Amino acid sequence: MLEWIPRGLSQGRVTTRYPRREEVAPRGYRGRIELLAGTGAGPELAELCPTGAITVEGEGRLALDRGRCILCGACVDAAPERFAFESRYQTAARSRRALVARDHDDGDPGPTRRALGEQARALRRSVHVRHIDCGSDGSEEWEIQALWNPYYDIQRLGYFLTAAPRHADVLLVTGPVTAAMRTPLLRTWEVMPEPKALVAVGTDACSGGLCSAGELTAGGVDAVLDVDVYVPGSPPAPIAIMHGLLLATGLLRAGELVA
Amino acid sequence: MTGLTREPIEHPGHLAERVGAVSEDAPPGELRLRVTPLAFEPAARMLEHAGARFVSMFLADTPERALVAAFALRGELLVLRAPAQAPDPIVYGSLGVWLPAARWSEQELVEREDVRPLGARYTRRLTAPDADLLDRRVEGLDVFALPFGPVRSGVFEAIQFQIETGGEDVARIQTRPFFKHRGMERRFAGLASDLAVHVAERVAGIASAAYAIAFCEGVERALAVTPPPRAQRWRAVYAELERIACHLDVIAKQAEATALYVGQARFQILKERVMRLRMRLTGSRFGRGMIVPGGVRAEGAVGLEELRRELDGLERDLRRDRQLFLATASMTDRLIGSGRLQRKLVEDYCAVGPLARGSGSSTDARHERPYGDYRRLGLNVVTRREGDAMARVGVRFGEISESLRLLRQSLDHLRRRDGELSVSLPDGRSGAAFGWAEAPQGELAIWVEIREGVLHRVHIASPSLRNWALFDHAFPKDVLTDFAFIEHSFGLTPAGADR
Repeated sequence: MLEWIPRGLSQGRVTTRYPRREEVAPRGYRGRIELLAGTGAGPELAELCPTGAITVEGEGRLALDRGRCILCGACVDAAPERFAFESRYQTAARSRRALVARDHDDGDPGPTRRALGEQARALRRSVHVRHIDCGSDGSEEWEIQALWNPYYDIQRLGYFLTAAPRHADVLLVTGPVTAAMRTPLLRTWEVMPEPKALVAVGTDACSGGLCSAGELTAGGVDAVLDVDVYVPGSPPAPIAIMHGLLLATGLLRAGELVA
Repeated sequence: MTGLTREPIEHPGHLAERVGAVSEDAPPGELRLRVTPLAFEPAARMLEHAGARFVSMFLADTPERALVAAFALRGELLVLRAPAQAPDPIVYGSLGVWLPAARWSEQELVEREDVRPLGARYTRRLTAPDADLLDRRVEGLDVFALPFGPVRSGVFEAIQFQIETGGEDVARIQTRPFFKHRGMERRFAGLASDLAVHVAERVAGIASAAYAIAFCEGVERALAVTPPPRAQRWRAVYAELERIACHLDVIAKQAEATALYVGQARFQILKERVMRLRMRLTGSRFGRGMIVPGGVRAEGAVGLEELRRELDGLERDLRRDRQLFLATASMTDRLIGSGRLQRKLVEDYCAVGPLARGSGSSTDARHERPYGDYRRLGLNVVTRREGDAMARVGVRFGEISESLRLLRQSLDHLRRRDGELSVSLPDGRSGAAFGWAEAPQGELAIWVEIREGVLHRVHIASPSLRNWALFDHAFPKDVLTDFAFIEHSFGLTPAGADR
């Protein structure tokens, strides 16, 4: 039993310094799709995407909805002069609109809902997080669990996992919201005390991903409840989810940790 | 057909004659038997008596609308087909009334399609669960029914267990899946196979490689293409890394359930190392985007030497952590004797994967019906006989070592010989076939129908759904506080079960 102690110390520190220091994704990591050339596109480009994340607007202007993108790379294979994978962890945004890239791509996560920004500061270093699965593929759960492993250890920033929604400040929702999970989701959100924030984790939660709105799923969390932060990705990496949590609680301003 | 050498009585063809079935052409490793709907149930019973293990039942649409039950018998997958004209309902004798393994599968079929199994009575709805609806009232002093889930403490996938308990003893448990049903099987329809593989990867995300392999095998077998050897080797590499990650996840969760926090952290570190290795190798922490119909997209992005060094380092650290884990009495005491499943029960429910192998059954798709590189890699199937949670953890530890051994073998092969990474699929062709793979959760079989190059119908026989039926029986002498240990020892994923 006691032998676990030296074993635990043997490895030294493995924990990331993020967000104090940037965590750089390894080359080749498929974090999100970058739009290399957004003009002069033919209408056939929209056909490339299995989830309809690519649209061609007037005068051949491309729009790439990262909230719909499942990072399959079909567009990168077919039109490498226009699309490329970007090895980037920080993909979260505060509005659905900020997830849509056009020819000019500034990576701005958009403004926080004003009320939330004011309230969230009150939470500071004691944020209780609750998760609810509304039909994910199961990989998002692994990446959320990873936040509490020694590599990410989000507890050092004051985020705690709580069992009771009544104690929770932030709700992480995964999945496109299946019919059977709609009521449990509404009920979980309702009993959470104000101020509270809702983070949609994964492309399925952001837009439904492969599952469009219909009888079986709502096609994304924001069809059911207001979402404060969207973390697209299929699934998003732990750092991406951490970035989303920091945005949701107002602890990140222009990429810098505040408070 | 495929060079079968068997005793006459064991030849499925003879079984076919006995029940008046017609043997049809099929890809190698698959035997198709055609019967009338009324001869369906007697034929299924005959196959079961001959030792066939039920896999799944569903409605197929190629070459025609037909009720299908799939069984595994030795090195063959038996596909029992009962064609029936649309739009009439398919009337047949129920399999679920005598075959526990077929119950959920048949009930799902009844609720989704126009089939009428004679003799079956399915009362509560399986596929549209209501979190608030208790299935029955419980009587007796101090006994109560506890709906556990679909929202539970911790970060877990949605599933519900209705637990009837006196507070300590567990009188009865009922597992209620399908909270996560997203209609993934339907999502394939109309897609070209190279796009559809992305859907397959997202059915059960923690087993992306296994789903991609089973799906691609199905496509390739339906169109009679064989991916090049080098592609099959890379597929095995991704599949075994995935198995290691899933098994380490289960072991870390067992440590968490005992509050053995250093142990938990150690196994989480090992798992994260595998995730990061996959991220560098494939660009995705779940190894997505590499396996495509016809082969693999590219070589792994990490050099073979470096990959080997990483695996050596992983194994070295794992060996010490495993030793400590197995020597920690507070850990093993919770696992030994917990959730004991008798072999008979496991076989009645046709369970698969580490769960079945922990109860002495040696079923493993890589061994029974070797596919891809497993035809060349010699696999040692790891089994334990005790049938308890400890045995299931033991099987997983053994399988991690075995996976590391297979990985080294694959890397050696990859280093020695170069070769093509994929073959192109013929354009506009049609066909239907099963593809299979041994996912970390157990045997996965995917039925794939292609019409003129486009996916028509897909059925997924997930190991998680089949194994979860056993959870109701996993508390013979156990108390409520054993719940976490027993659940984690099953190591299943609701996403795969609910689809």
